[in-house]
Amino acid sequence: MGHELTWGMPVILYLYLAGVGAGAVTVSASVLLRGGDGKFGGGHFVMARYGALIGPLPVMLGTFLIIFELGRPFRALNLFKLINLSPMNIGSWLLGLFITVSLVYALVFLPSFVPQLKRLDHALDPVRKALAWVNVPLGISVAVYTGVMLGAMPSRPLWNSPILAMLFLISALSTGVAIIILVRALFHHGGKDPEDEHRYHLGAYILTATDVMLIGFELLVIFLFVMFAHLTVGDVKHAVAIILPGGAMASMFWVWVVLVGLLLPALVELVYVVPKLIYHRTFAAPKAVEIAVSVAVLIGGFMLRYIVVIGGQATGPVGL
Amino acid sequence: MTDMTRTPATDACQHRTTATTRRDFVTAVGGVVTAVALTPLAAAKAEAAQETPAKRKVQYGMVIDVRRCIGCHACTVACKSEFDVPLGENRAWVEYVEKGEYPNVGRSFLPRLCNHCSNPPCVHVCPTNATYKREQDGIVVIDDGLCIGCKYCILACPYDARFLNPVTGYADKCDFCIHRVSKGLMPSCVNTCVGGARIFGDLGDPESQVSKLVAKNRVTVLRRSMGTLPNVYYIGADHTDELDADRPEVRQVRVKTHRRHEQRR
Repeated sequence: MGHELTWGMPVILYLYLAGVGAGAVTVSASVLLRGGDGKFGGGHFVMARYGALIGPLPVMLGTFLIIFELGRPFRALNLFKLINLSPMNIGSWLLGLFITVSLVYALVFLPSFVPQLKRLDHALDPVRKALAWVNVPLGISVAVYTGVMLGAMPSRPLWNSPILAMLFLISALSTGVAIIILVRALFHHGGKDPEDEHRYHLGAYILTATDVMLIGFELLVIFLFVMFAHLTVGDVKHAVAIILPGGAMASMFWVWVVLVGLLLPALVELVYVVPKLIYHRTFAAPKAVEIAVSVAVLIGGFMLRYIVVIGGQATGPVGL
Repeated sequence: MTDMTRTPATDACQHRTTATTRRDFVTAVGGVVTAVALTPLAAAKAEAAQETPAKRKVQYGMVIDVRRCIGCHACTVACKSEFDVPLGENRAWVEYVEKGEYPNVGRSFLPRLCNHCSNPPCVHVCPTNATYKREQDGIVVIDDGLCIGCKYCILACPYDARFLNPVTGYADKCDFCIHRVSKGLMPSCVNTCVGGARIFGDLGDPESQVSKLVAKNRVTVLRRSMGTLPNVYYIGADHTDELDADRPEVRQVRVKTHRRHEQRR
């Protein structure tokens, strides 16, 4: 396209990784707070723990990438000398807060691995709950701000849409669920205890069903994003043409984001979710399917950031 | 008051001095030194101040009379040398717009620089307040002491007037030659313009040459619909863009930006 990227791969990766991490922590905290089995946390405790332990890692990795993208890493401290209405400033504060809280949240899950620390683990239950209450709004805020940051610029008409932040939020939650499914599947060595197996599949069902719902919403938001952009006149219509048939990034968008990242995983997930949802059959998706589906969702999430970030810079206002 | 004396081309020695003190100057502006830094400016405006006791808002701006532009790039070069702008980057530049199909063709020039907007998108997105619009003269400046090089402002500018200075690592752009203007001189590009196409002055003063030109001529600004309220006005500018090539009456458009970025962004 002959355009030099002002925001290149580090920023693209950051937007993606921050979304995955914030999504994973938000999902973990929600699961912990809403978990069933009568007792707080209940059978979903392990599921929440996966999300809590995974979540901070991609966020910190992404943050590391953008801080070093600055060239002078310590300069980033200037962000914390003041508060202003720049989405990047507010985002930095949110991000700093989120990393701190989500790290503590991850740490308070660690004693649950050590049988000797059962009393400490029990005592940490209310702490986890309190942190989860903070993590849900914080995680959502971090995911939303990444979209608001791009959307704040009228000079970049592809991004300048209120629904972009919504798209990033749903994608963050969806990829957050996907990475929990993936890591659960990778660490699950099945079949010893039928009780364990049952819990694993129940958890997988809840996650997979959630993912289907999120993908449904994401498809709707993409439809609205593309349709409203196309129906307008001028800058935005011209910008969105880059992902519409004939556009330079069209095949990439429709194949990688919509087909590989959303439609195919949703269809496969539906095959396993529907029998349980409607006919109350047992949910038992094979490990390979769980891995394939979650990897596809994660690829789609990355490609969404990739195409949006590059497409927004390759297009500009019409006329001079 | 805007008819500040034009000086002959500043000598090389002065270049050095201004180049080294510029950053100190811009940094100082953020602090208490503002008054000191602006003393010469205040002196230059003493006359106007006497006429209107109530403090009038100063907004430096430029009128570019494209009819007088010969596309010689003298402004580009003067600006490059004034600030030692790194290779491949420009604070000021001249675009060529060629359009039509033989024999009905046209070519015009479009000198460009930062518009020092009254509603600057770059300022709104800056996360550290490193870029701001000066109260005293409406110049949009960058404080290198605060800039983190995040490039948010570069993306937010609808005029692509900003770049990341590869030497300093901070955002950079035209500052209306603050170091010259504050001493009563004209910006370097204005000073060097052979056709007198670039006219600089205080748009807040109705008696200034720029204000009179804006009042008396058919003026345009770039990307008016963005709502940025630019303070660089054009007389006789051709706003044809590459996208206009789709129109049957234009047929062919070639915009030569004469920058590293070969396309307008």
